[in-house]
This record gives sequence, C-alpha cells and structure tokens, in this order.
Amino acid sequence: MSNREQYKKAFSVLQTSSDFTLEDEKMAILKKKAMLRTFATAAAACLVIVGGSGTAYAANVGGIQRTIQLWMHGDQTDVTIDFDGSGNYTMEYTDTDGNTREAGGGGVAIEADGTERALTEDELILHLSREVDVSYNDDGKIMLYFQGQAVDITEKFENDTCYVFLNGTDISLYVTVLKEKDGAFHIASSPDRYLQFKETEPGIYTSY
Amino acid sequence: MRLPVQDLMNMYKNNVYAAAFSICKNTSDAEDVVQDTFLQYYMTYKNFDNEQHIRAWLLRVAINKAKNIQSSFWHRKGMPLDDFIETLSFETPETKELFEEVMKLPEKYRVVVHLFYYEDYSIKEIAKILRTTESNIKVRLSRGRAKLKDALKEGWEDEQ
Repeated sequence: MSNREQYKKAFSVLQTSSDFTLEDEKMAILKKKAMLRTFATAAAACLVIVGGSGTAYAANVGGIQRTIQLWMHGDQTDVTIDFDGSGNYTMEYTDTDGNTREAGGGGVAIEADGTERALTEDELILHLSREVDVSYNDDGKIMLYFQGQAVDITEKFENDTCYVFLNGTDISLYVTVLKEKDGAFHIASSPDRYLQFKETEPGIYTSY
Repeated sequence: MRLPVQDLMNMYKNNVYAAAFSICKNTSDAEDVVQDTFLQYYMTYKNFDNEQHIRAWLLRVAINKAKNIQSSFWHRKGMPLDDFIETLSFETPETKELFEEVMKLPEKYRVVVHLFYYEDYSIKEIAKILRTTESNIKVRLSRGRAKLKDALKEGWEDEQ
C-alpha cells in the first residue's frame, strides 16, 4: 500500500457529526454563536492589555462596542468596533479567508467657527461605510472596493494614476487612486470632483 | 459560480473536519471550525471559478479558522487526543500508528502533509492555499516525510 493510500485510510476515520440545515432560525443561532466566540476572544485579549498597560485601560473606560455590518473588500461582513469616545476606533473582523483582521483610526470634525471636535460614533460609522479600498487580489489584479462593488482597475492607470466614478447605495464618489512604485496606493475621494495628488507629496491633493 | 451550501456540506464536511482536526487536534474545536467555515460560505458574496476553487477556499478558510482558535484563548475543553484516538475504528494497527505519528508532527509540517496525502494537492496548489512559497512547502513536506519515516520505519515508504 502506498503512503498516500495508507494516509487516506488512517484519516478516513475522522467523521464530523456536524449537520446543520439552512433553516433561518438555526443559521441565526450559528451566526450569533460565531460572533460570541469572536467577542470572547477579543475580550480575553483586552484583559491581557488591561493587565499590562494602565494607559490602555484608561482609554477603554467609557468606551462603546458595537457590531455592525460593513462592506469589506466587496463582502458584507460583521465587524466589531470599539469606540473610545474621543473620535478613535479599533475594529476586528474575519475576512473571507477566515483570517482575523484588526484595523483602527479616528478623526476630528472642524466646526463652522473653526473649533475641532471628536467625530461621533455615527460619523465614524458613516465614514467607514463609504470607505474606498484598493488592493491586489489573488490573481494580481488591482481591485477597488466600495460598498458592495469590486471594480478591476488594473488597466485604468495612466502615469500611475486612475480616476473612477462610483455610484454607491447612498452616495456617488469621484475616486482618484495613485499607485506608488513600492506597490502602495493612495486614495482620495470626493462627492463633487476628482482630486489630484501633488507630484511630490502624494498625501496632499488638490481639486482636478 | 455558487453551489448550495447544503450540497457542499454533504461533499466536503469531512474534508474540512479532517483539515481542522489536523491543526486543532481537538474534536470540539474542529466541529466549530466546520460550522463556522460553511457559515462563512453562506454569508459571503464571493464568486468562484469552479467547484475546485470552492473546495480550496473552504480548506483555506478552515485552516485559518483552526489556526485562529489555536492562537486564541478560546479553546473548548475536549477529550484528550490519546483517549479520542482510542475511540476511532482504524482498519489496521499500522494506520492507527500513522495517525498517531502525524499528530506528533509540528503543525506547520502536519498541515502540508495532510493537504498533500489526503487532499491530493500538488506543492504549487498547497503554496497557494497556505499563501506561502513553493520552496517553503517543499521543505515542510520533506521534513514531515523524514520525521514520519524515522518514526514508522518500514511502515512508511521512502520518497525523499
């Protein structure tokens, strides 16, 4: 008997007892169960941080955790977001390949009188729901993701810059993507016009 | 293309379970991985090229989920591996010994050996599923085989 045949015989004894059907009720329970596990993992990780860092603990006091659905790389995904009440957020989600991903950010709003204030939870969620992302897929194509859309923009670059108009569910955006030599992308979007990056400072852009 | 999740469950649940078990070495965690993997398929909007693309995706998701469980604090208490092995009905003492020796391999060798010998994937395909280089997979497979040969002697053909 070959190694392969013997191996298959050895592992064919493993039979799962899992047998779930697609009844809505049961799927909802399974979904909740999967989310609870994610939450438990996050909570356990949080306790470690609390034990090791007073600063992290202080930042978490008064924070709010919410689980919402966001479009991540063209897939509607459950995302657990922690808001610290000061305009910052950290979020965790499982991508389509089963990897646990973490991301974070934050920002301020500038009022009419010039004063700055921390973004609210709802403003941050709105920002995240309208976020444009660009990355390479498994086939080496450059894909632009916006809400439920995944657009192949590989052939749309001229002088390493690409302009795309996107119709979203609640907003339309003019998107400019700049491809750097190291493979990184800079993205700028506006509901009014295309923005153009300054040649020497890709992080800075002006109206096109 | 998409296939009904129920059909995929019937076709691949034991493959997904075996791949998860080869990492978790724990039936409870492996059962969770099976459910979570098919649930993720159900919830994703991803389109696939063909059935083999779906199969590879399911195995990749299962392997990643199993690794996540391994590296998290969230382990379910299950039967110790030795006790669990005693509950399995192996055809021969040799296949039982092979199973035990595979379970003793380091995880990074175990998963490659499993995908090669059980799922019949090539080195190139395994590299794609595990998102690493072919040379890395060759090394892991070679070292896994060497360890099995060392432990099983005549019970494992030399393929080096």
